[in-house]
Amino acid sequence: MISLIFFAPVILAVIALALPKRIISRIALLAPPLIYIMAAFAEYLKIEWYILPDWLMPYFQFDSVGLFFFTVMTLVFASVSVYSLFYFKSHSFTLKQESIYIAEIQFFVVAMAGVILAAHLALMWVFVEATTLTSALLIYFEKKKSSLEASWKYIYICSVGIALAFVGIILLTIGSRSIDSLFFTDLYNKASQINPFWLKVSFAFIFVGLGTKIGIAPIHAWLPDAHSEAPSPVSALLSGTLLNSALLGLLRVQKIFISAHLEGFSDFLFLLTGFLSLMISAVYMLRIKNYKRMLAYSSIENMGILFIGIALGKYGVFALMLHVLAHSLSKTSLFLTSGNILYLHKSKKIEPVSGLLMSDSRTGWLWIVSMLAIIGMPPFPIFLSKFLIVKALWMEGLSWLAVPFFLFLVIVAFGMANAVFKMAFGEAPADKNLINKNGFAAYAPQMVLLFILFIVGINISPQIYSFLNSAANFLR
Amino acid sequence: MTNILIILLGTSVLYVFAVSRIESYVKTLALQGVFLFLLVITDIHKINWLNLGFLMFETLLIKAVFIPVFLLRVIRKNEIGREVEPYISQFYSILIASGIFMFGFVAAFWAARTNAGIKPLYFGMSLVLIVASLFLIVNRKRIITHILCYMILENGIFLLSLSVANEMPMLVNIGVLLDLFVGIYLFVIFFNKIQEMYDGSHVDILTELRD
Repeated sequence: MISLIFFAPVILAVIALALPKRIISRIALLAPPLIYIMAAFAEYLKIEWYILPDWLMPYFQFDSVGLFFFTVMTLVFASVSVYSLFYFKSHSFTLKQESIYIAEIQFFVVAMAGVILAAHLALMWVFVEATTLTSALLIYFEKKKSSLEASWKYIYICSVGIALAFVGIILLTIGSRSIDSLFFTDLYNKASQINPFWLKVSFAFIFVGLGTKIGIAPIHAWLPDAHSEAPSPVSALLSGTLLNSALLGLLRVQKIFISAHLEGFSDFLFLLTGFLSLMISAVYMLRIKNYKRMLAYSSIENMGILFIGIALGKYGVFALMLHVLAHSLSKTSLFLTSGNILYLHKSKKIEPVSGLLMSDSRTGWLWIVSMLAIIGMPPFPIFLSKFLIVKALWMEGLSWLAVPFFLFLVIVAFGMANAVFKMAFGEAPADKNLINKNGFAAYAPQMVLLFILFIVGINISPQIYSFLNSAANFLR
Repeated sequence: MTNILIILLGTSVLYVFAVSRIESYVKTLALQGVFLFLLVITDIHKINWLNLGFLMFETLLIKAVFIPVFLLRVIRKNEIGREVEPYISQFYSILIASGIFMFGFVAAFWAARTNAGIKPLYFGMSLVLIVASLFLIVNRKRIITHILCYMILENGIFLLSLSVANEMPMLVNIGVLLDLFVGIYLFVIFFNKIQEMYDGSHVDILTELRD
């Protein structure tokens, strides 16, 4: 399946670029997510179908945590692909523009799949940098002045950050000379042979590099700009999958620390930057004026929560996986719905938007329910993941940290709810017509995602539990 | 011989600190590519032929010829002459550069005393290139200078990988080079767009997005 994951989207993208016909572009848009869903199922059912050349086989793997992140990516990718049909219709793009967009999306997703499936640390780095390069053009897709600024900041800041991560990888090779391999399995199995000094120094660099990509404070400068200026389906991909794939990279490095019994050092960094991210997002959330930037700061907040989850070790790791799933799906739903609002009001500012429930009730309700899902209202699973993280703080003897944790969460929830209710309720501006005719592509993906979250939230079935738990076992 | 090459590499960074003509930066970059190429071939007995061929291709063709020629064409097409006044004046910049060099030499002495199997001068000078390029990125305003300093950063990382002398698999080497190549290409595309849209090309004009 790995060969299909890499080659099918690329081949379809090239065909779509070479033959810009509507039917071909639709196939190139919708077939890859179907293939990814099949691949995820095949892997879940342990059907192995590798047709990679022998020399390439060791470089890719499908471990439990990889399968989990791949599944989350696939759900977001499928939603974004369907929503893109509405995006095309609402912007009246030419066939050529559509083909370019579709091709860029496929390259971007393949690069992210590469990060998730890479079995070699330096190869993973190559794919992380490839995600930056492939997504920068997508951010600039609408060719606006502001999106140009956002893409430049994104590509430059992330490239420099990731270059530093490569410095970390080289430094790790100094410490792991006796292992003489950067394959993750070798690094985990022989972690005790790595020189602790070089491991810590290399971690500092890798942490800064991948942390830049994840958008963790204080190295988050690119994130609000890129997330707000990208087309809404691309924002959903950035927030719902790109941040996760870089996070998985850090989880794999953290696993080396756990195997070497040095996690105290990395846990401290995760905890510190996690709380800093919560604080920064809380501060900005109270004065936010742009609803897409609001969602971007919410991503920084949620990455902070994930970092805290990582720092809490075996107690926090189940909550971490549940939060990854819940955040990605809720945030995708929010970003896609923000695309509907942008189409309706032609503005990203919160101030001129009101009465969404009157002007487009489905968008209005999706906006409210997605917001409730992301701030962690029961029955949505973020409630449970946050609850489990607070419990883990207690178990780790860090109960006093629950106070700032709750404080920042409440501020962020207040800021978001305030803006969302202001936009959803009240009178719709007089010049806005009732437009309940957007077609299913503008609503169905969000509805499906929220439905999945609802089902997971009210009852984590044994299958879902074991799926999350097997991913969580990676860090235990 | 290698020590002289490494010192020359370091001197080329000092030169970038001292001058403000953008074309001089590009020529320095090409020269760094040549120095790296010479370093690779003087280490000939330690690496296999396939890797050596690849490294020669990377340093001589890509780093010393292709990328500098590409950037030089962009600079001439856009008629960019000099760097605008940096945030920290040239005098203080050179003082800071001396500090960075001192740090590099201390790191080299330290590396010589550890048993980590690193080549000390390579290690120290690679840190100089990395730290100096980061300082230049922060201090300089022109976007094209940022692209050039990114290349110096990449050269520093390349030197660091030589100091460790651990070979990466060929798949990774090709991936890293492809990323660098596409990265520079995209940087230049965005740089050209910024020139067109903003009527200027230094970072101070990029102020549309803020909270």
